[in-house]
Amino acid sequence: MPGLTSKSSVTTGSASRAEPVIDVSNITKTFGETTALNDVSLTVGRGEIVVLLGLSGSGKSTLLRHLDGLDRPDSGSVTVLGAAVSSLKGRPLRALRGQVGFVFQQFELVGSLTVLENVLTGALFRVRGPRLGLWGYRRDLKLAALGHLDRVGLLAQAYQRADTLSGGQQQRVGIARALMQNPRILLADEPVASLDPESSAQVMALIREIAIDSGLTVVCSLHQVDLALSWGDRIVGLRHGQVVLDTITQGLSKQNVMEIYGRVTTSTGELDAIETELGTELGTGEAGEPDEQGELDLATFSSARDNRR
Amino acid sequence: MTLTLERPQASQADAATPAPQRRAHPQKIAAALTLVALVAASVFSLISVDISLPQMVASWGNAQNFFARVGIISFPAPGELLYLTALTVGLVLLGTLFAAFFSVPLSWLAAANTSPGRGWMAVARFLGVLARAVPDVVLAMVFVLMFSLGTLPGILAIGIHSIGMISKMFADAIEQIDEGPRLAIRAAGGTRMQEFFSGVLPQVLPSWVATVLHRNDINLRGSVILGYVGVAGLGLEMSYAFKSLNYSLGLGIALVIFALCVVMEIVSSAVRTVMLGLAPTRHGIGDRLLRRLGVTGQKADASHHPWTYARLRNAVWGLLAAFIVIGSVWICDIKWGDFLTVWSYLPETAAKFWPPSFGSYDAPVMLAAMGETIAIALAATILTIVASIVIGSLAARNVAPSRRVRAGFRLVLVTIRGIPEIILAIVLIVVTGLGTQAGTIALAIGGVGLLGKLLADSLEEVRPGPEQALRAAGATRLQVYAGATAPQGMKALIGHSFYMLDTNIRAATILGLVGGGGVGYYLLNAGQGSRYDLVTTIVLMILVTVVAVEGLAMWMRRVFR
Repeated sequence: MPGLTSKSSVTTGSASRAEPVIDVSNITKTFGETTALNDVSLTVGRGEIVVLLGLSGSGKSTLLRHLDGLDRPDSGSVTVLGAAVSSLKGRPLRALRGQVGFVFQQFELVGSLTVLENVLTGALFRVRGPRLGLWGYRRDLKLAALGHLDRVGLLAQAYQRADTLSGGQQQRVGIARALMQNPRILLADEPVASLDPESSAQVMALIREIAIDSGLTVVCSLHQVDLALSWGDRIVGLRHGQVVLDTITQGLSKQNVMEIYGRVTTSTGELDAIETELGTELGTGEAGEPDEQGELDLATFSSARDNRR
Repeated sequence: MTLTLERPQASQADAATPAPQRRAHPQKIAAALTLVALVAASVFSLISVDISLPQMVASWGNAQNFFARVGIISFPAPGELLYLTALTVGLVLLGTLFAAFFSVPLSWLAAANTSPGRGWMAVARFLGVLARAVPDVVLAMVFVLMFSLGTLPGILAIGIHSIGMISKMFADAIEQIDEGPRLAIRAAGGTRMQEFFSGVLPQVLPSWVATVLHRNDINLRGSVILGYVGVAGLGLEMSYAFKSLNYSLGLGIALVIFALCVVMEIVSSAVRTVMLGLAPTRHGIGDRLLRRLGVTGQKADASHHPWTYARLRNAVWGLLAAFIVIGSVWICDIKWGDFLTVWSYLPETAAKFWPPSFGSYDAPVMLAAMGETIAIALAATILTIVASIVIGSLAARNVAPSRRVRAGFRLVLVTIRGIPEIILAIVLIVVTGLGTQAGTIALAIGGVGLLGKLLADSLEEVRPGPEQALRAAGATRLQVYAGATAPQGMKALIGHSFYMLDTNIRAATILGLVGGGGVGYYLLNAGQGSRYDLVTTIVLMILVTVVAVEGLAMWMRRVFR
């Protein structure tokens, strides 16, 4: 693909100042005919809040799965918290996974279990053997789980079945489950793609708040430029399994991002698709009004951002 | 999102280019042809078993004579009746629980997504097929030789045979789970075992409970026939009564069994509703009562699991279940010592059954008998399917024109299901005489109870979206059924029909025991005449047939996915 090698020209701020906790170097992953990741490198420092931005099929999920050892690269290496994830097996792999929380797009709760039990499954790597039912968990774990549920504002729903909750509430349970691991890194795969705008704002704000409070490193995949700009500290753009953008969000406008995508995109059809999916229009000028969604997001996150700085 | 992803290609493609043709896969064609061939064979079988209405009407005279001879139906003494009933229920329950317990590890090994390896999977699947293919009557025959008379042979026969079905259904359920929660647990660092207990089991528990309850109903009906080979309970008493030509008592016991089956069916359906009930509404009577009593201070003491109505109810049901199990063990009076002595009988028993031989019969005679059994099964299955499509559809909530119609047809299904096929067959044999006709009709009627119910349940489980869409577009009830409900239920119908055929082949064998035609007659003779080598031969023939049908069904399911 000609014209795509200008990676360096769109990379403005990838150099991590803090010590790296995630170090991906030159990984390639193919599923049958399709190349999901093509020579991807990424370094994330401690406490960074990074957004993986891209269309569906751009390789965001695959990259996240590699960070948790759920997928293995065909070539290249993945180092997380000093461990070579791509070669870990058995207990050491589980120990690493325990330190990395994962929040899923579809929440992935067991609907027939109570909310509390779902949160407790986040502690499984710390106990031996299988667990069935609430009585299987130690009291201190239960109290910790209740604490995390309180943190996400769902203490009153602790003993309800998970499938009685709304989507936004279920995702907050998913976050509580990840917190139950006492993670050092939080990975989130399109955490709000299945939610309505209001719940999305709540969930994203919650993730950022928790990340800052607990000093978590966060890698979160998103597909909305507005949200990515207002929420993340740094944006890594993926396209066809390649990193096409890696920059801090400070001072970056939606226009900039779209221009970058415009530069690396060859066909107009694809640009249309990016426009549709990233929810913006090219060429509306800098004075172009942000849509309602964008405003809402900015309003919600500016406070969290101010807290940090 | 996937939609927008495809858009670039769509916009590049010329609008004038024709849509790509869907090419039929050769396997699909082969499967469709096989299906047609099976239907043709069934119709042919239907003709060959010679079901004629005039003959049945003519034989009505027999029935009248018979009932005149029976006179007034009589029952055993109340105390004895109560004991026999409790014994039968307890024995069946323990057998089912035995199977329920052991099918969990077997299913874990047999399900493609949880199995530790392909080898384990093959072994587990094979054990399941084996358990399913060997009729419980044969198992009971063997165990009666090895254990002292009593309940243990019955419990083990029911248990081992049931493992086949329960583990298969359970493994299928495991394969159909949502993999997400499991992935979440893996991502959190859980072991394979933890994945299974926290991510898989909670998802499949409802289906496991449903399968076990359903199997329990089947086992209760099947326990009648076990009496014919010496397993204690109502079945044994009934077989004694019929053998001594005490028809009045025999029919009395049959009536009791029928009532028992219907009661059990209703009880298990209630248990299912309670245990599988959807998410608690929090508006039930109990909830309101508890709220009024002020038992809902949740936030205040969130560290304690609140005693909500749902939890209280579950606890009460759990205790009750425990009592019933303990009661069953007590009434069955299991001779645990048998488990120690049985091993010494093992070589001797095995020697009786091996090597297989055709005994005094020719191979062609036995093969013809097996063929007759298959023909009965095919004919009965096709009759069942036709009847079930009508009755099952009308018993589905989303198809029935009114609640009352649904309730009516559900009642019909429960009633049919309650009649043990064996009793139906005995009555039919009395009416139409010995032979394939009675067996076929008994199987066909009995099958409607099962297939109709399975079909109704599957139809109720289809996604309501397409139905709503058609209704919103102004379609009539019948159009909604034909356009949205039936197509979605089609796959289930094919699957259930093969299951029916599978069941019918084994059932057809058993019906032979009471004179319903086919290989079963020889099986009973061989058993009673201590020609155990012939029993082995017949079991092997059944095994081959069942495995063939099983393989065919698996292939069909894979192709028509």
